[in-house]
Amino acid sequence: MKRSFHPLTWWSGAIAISIAVSLTHHIAFNLAVVGGMCLIVYRTNRKTIDQSPWSGGLWFALKIAAIIIIIRTVIGIAIGVPIPGNTLFELPILYLPEWMAGIRIGGAITEERLTFAFEEGVQIATLICVFAAATSLTSPHRLLRQMPIFIYEFGVALVIATSVLPQLVTSAARIKSAQRMRGIQRRGWAGVALPLLEESLARSLDLAAAMDARGYGYSRHRSRYRREKILTRDLTVIFSSLALIPLSMVAFA
Amino acid sequence: MITFNSVSLIYPHSLHTVFEDLSFTIDEGEMVLVIGATGSGKSSLLRLINGLVPHHTGGILAGDISVDGISTSLTKPGGLAHLIGIVGQNPAHGFVTDTVEEELVFGMEALNFAPDVMRKRVEEILDLLSLVHLRSRSISTLSGGEQQRVAIGSALVMHPKVLVLDEPTSALDPIAAEEVLSILHRLVHDLGLTVVISEHKLERVIGFADRIIAISADGKTEIDIPEEILKKSPIAPPIVHLARALNLDSVGTSVREVRRMTTHLRDFTPLVSHPERDSGETVVAINKLNHVYGEKVALREISLEFKAGEITAVMGRNGAGKSTLFKSIVGFHKSTSGQIKVLGIEPTELHGRKRLSTIGYIPQEPSDLLIHPSVAKECAASDRDNGLEDGSTFAFLIRLTPTVNPEAHPRDLSEGQRLSLVLALILCSAPDVLIMDEPTRGLDYQAKSLLVDTLVSYARNLGKCVLIATHDVELVAEVADRVVFLADGDVVADGPTLDVLLSSPAFAPQVAKVMSPAPWLTVKDALRGIAQATGKDSKE
Repeated sequence: MKRSFHPLTWWSGAIAISIAVSLTHHIAFNLAVVGGMCLIVYRTNRKTIDQSPWSGGLWFALKIAAIIIIIRTVIGIAIGVPIPGNTLFELPILYLPEWMAGIRIGGAITEERLTFAFEEGVQIATLICVFAAATSLTSPHRLLRQMPIFIYEFGVALVIATSVLPQLVTSAARIKSAQRMRGIQRRGWAGVALPLLEESLARSLDLAAAMDARGYGYSRHRSRYRREKILTRDLTVIFSSLALIPLSMVAFA
Repeated sequence: MITFNSVSLIYPHSLHTVFEDLSFTIDEGEMVLVIGATGSGKSSLLRLINGLVPHHTGGILAGDISVDGISTSLTKPGGLAHLIGIVGQNPAHGFVTDTVEEELVFGMEALNFAPDVMRKRVEEILDLLSLVHLRSRSISTLSGGEQQRVAIGSALVMHPKVLVLDEPTSALDPIAAEEVLSILHRLVHDLGLTVVISEHKLERVIGFADRIIAISADGKTEIDIPEEILKKSPIAPPIVHLARALNLDSVGTSVREVRRMTTHLRDFTPLVSHPERDSGETVVAINKLNHVYGEKVALREISLEFKAGEITAVMGRNGAGKSTLFKSIVGFHKSTSGQIKVLGIEPTELHGRKRLSTIGYIPQEPSDLLIHPSVAKECAASDRDNGLEDGSTFAFLIRLTPTVNPEAHPRDLSEGQRLSLVLALILCSAPDVLIMDEPTRGLDYQAKSLLVDTLVSYARNLGKCVLIATHDVELVAEVADRVVFLADGDVVADGPTLDVLLSSPAFAPQVAKVMSPAPWLTVKDALRGIAQATGKDSKE
């Protein structure tokens, strides 16, 4: 079996990259980061035959990222602080009371304002993709195993959240399609929420009981079956991610 | 090993006790089976053993339970982790990590075992449960039987003295179930492990049990050897029903025993009579259907026809393509290639009331269909959706279960009542084809017989087409006219129930095994067959 990276590698890499991303508004830089991440995740996951439930996280995040960019741009155009510059078109202005000075709805849409909103949207989307990529590369469960035992309650909550969340997505789809077959079409998410909530509660309780029954958090110390070693390639990933910080500060400022 | 001393249990916000004054002792190395109707408290009993009840669920416990001398009321479940291994009803819900090896060591890590001990034990368990080739696999990609073995392994790796299993085979196909049970059997014999197990499909486990704890609906509990309990218990596997119906002196728990008792009934040539029925018109026509998920081929060149008035059981291993086939017929997804017509219409083109009156689909989790806060509202919504007269769904429901309380929340109903409610909601619009995915999961014998009656009368009296996917050979023997057997996306067998079930020992129902070579699948068949054969003999 090929050894995988240390669980902390991709996560610390993701933190470094997210700092670099937050320092610049440069679209090309952000797109390059997302593209790079997609490539790494695609290549890593292609090789493994079986995947953890989280390995598809990045592809899901890409969809969410697209929605975020659209929402951010629309909101940036419609609401916000006017930025002077080359006016593209004008929207009718909705006048707000005096105490809300500085914010306005509608008005002149300048090229600068549009660019700024779009760039910010891309930045947020990139941040999301970076962490989704880390999740795809290292399942949150492996990360949690590195946590010390004294944060017991927190640990249980996190394990439950990270196990139940990917299942919720599939359960929601299953329930929705089952109900469509009963001819319940117009109720939308309201009808799904109830069975879904019940199922996730039951599952969470099951999991908590299973962890409890297996002695989780009972002993004050916990041993490690396999100590995860930090290898050269782990360091390579971390240092090249760190190198992106000065790069984004200097070249893409 | 396990002592219950006048134990009574009541859950919070509940008006009646689950157990009252329950006392018994389970010795070391015993395999004890817990039986009872759904909701009678089997799971509670099992979870009392390691203290998950009441430590985890709340409730008031009176009396004392001790395991290997340790009182569970004073010790939290975590403190018993080294002593008691527990495997829940659905192993997938209890996995904490991602890969097989990590899952096996989870408990040992939590109890701070030394790394070299862990190494040794992991290898031991991987060998014992034949999991070596799966060690670094991701658990979510394993089959049901493999997952169940991992769950048992991660309990055994702690070297417990007691292993508690809650319906370990309910989600498994007969072969995977056999595999899990024979491992348990070996553990009991080789390691002297004490095993407490609950199971609805008694025919699968009865042969392994040393004693039975029978919980009746009124909370009374009996513990005795299987032969004694089964003499009168309403919950019994088909061979016991057969023994009772044939008025044998005693009931046997294994096919071998009952075969010996019935030699005198098999020394005549039985009449082979295929029940001939005129087949109705074709309701579902499938032509060269293919379905591919990514790189995995789920269905390959399937061509089938299902007729009106016919009940077809679709069987096959987990992952053989049963659910995909059903989803294609229901119209959940467009197939990769090929055609499906339900009464000449593509199922994906069916909408609204036309769909409701054509296809009725009951998913694996029937409660997915229930969204209203009471039975009455659920039925009213169904009347509205189907454009029926007010109260007709409820009238239908009352015919299935006369005692149902219309004000009750659907989730508070018993398993059987909930199934009746879902059946009523779906059947009131009289769909031309009824499709059920794994209907007997978690159903007790009573609920199952209600299901059998409903399905049979729906297909015979109303002349509708019924399709069920199931692992339950006894159910198939009772209801199905025809069996389609899928393996790896192909149809490997398709024919009358009798021929398909008898051709494979793993899928033969118990009665057939006892009566072999006579081709009788159920107790009813056997009685009728014997009467005919003896009648013929006496005439000669």
